[in-house]
Amino acid sequence: MERRLYFLVGDLLSNVGVGALVGLVVVSLVAETWPPVLGMVAGMLVGDLVALPAAVALSVPFGAMEIMLPVMTTGMVSGMAVGMLAAMGVVQTGQSAAVGAIAGLLVLAATYGLNAHLRARV
Amino acid sequence: MDTSTSQKWDSAVRGYDLMNGVGPERRWAPWKRRLFSGMDGKVLFMAVGTGQDIQFFPPGRDITAIDISEKMLERARPRAAAYDGRLELRHLDVHDLDYPEATFDQVFTSCTFCSVPDPVNGLRVLRRVLKPGGTIGMFEHTGSRCFPFNLMLNLMTPLTRCLGPELNRDTPANVRQAGYIDVRVEPVYLDVVKVIHAVAPA
Repeated sequence: MERRLYFLVGDLLSNVGVGALVGLVVVSLVAETWPPVLGMVAGMLVGDLVALPAAVALSVPFGAMEIMLPVMTTGMVSGMAVGMLAAMGVVQTGQSAAVGAIAGLLVLAATYGLNAHLRARV
Repeated sequence: MDTSTSQKWDSAVRGYDLMNGVGPERRWAPWKRRLFSGMDGKVLFMAVGTGQDIQFFPPGRDITAIDISEKMLERARPRAAAYDGRLELRHLDVHDLDYPEATFDQVFTSCTFCSVPDPVNGLRVLRRVLKPGGTIGMFEHTGSRCFPFNLMLNLMTPLTRCLGPELNRDTPANVRQAGYIDVRVEPVYLDVVKVIHAVAPA
């Protein structure tokens, strides 16, 4: 597991920040009149479109695959979650950023766990 | 010389150090330093690029470093000149290696076989110039078997291929297909970034 503070903070800020940003973008695009499944799929696509350039930019200071893969996953997951909740009319702008940030935190924790599991198997 | 690949990397030189020099190099520094600490005897380093990896080479070694891009090598020259040991830079395509059979004791690569157009053939050429029982040590990123990372890497590969690397290659399988034995894979990050050790058969 990564133990250097610079990269730990970079990973955290990247995933929480991109998650919140995706949440804000998706909630502004998905209307309450949409079916939740449509909101989820649209949120996933928009999330990845927002996350891709962010991941490329963040990889410059914080590392390549270690940023690209979790941040792209964060974009996908937070977009899906916020898209579905926005279509159901249960999140407002501020809440969408919080949901996206929490999704980013969970994705980061999951990738850290998977990484530790894969490295421990060798 | 594969001129299209050479030109692709010549044109990538401008932003190369900016994109790779801070985050990726600092992040991967401990693993690269450990891999290259095993350099011994006559060493071939393939695809030295702008020479960012030279800082991780242990001092006092006998290293020949090649790259397909002359512009990358121009950037690498000051770093090579500062190396405390023998380090020769050569402008060469791996497919056109002009060394006799069994010239080198070891071959090292660093994020190289994501970009070689014919990776299995390239690895076979490296096996030819390795002495029997010689080793290859590779720091590489590959595709993934884990969802959703495999999906992302597969989707991004058509885009990244235009710039240089393919993100979904199975380099350990390519190493085996090229005839190496005792292939050992050490994960660095998930199942994507890894160190690969293998031996050229006697």
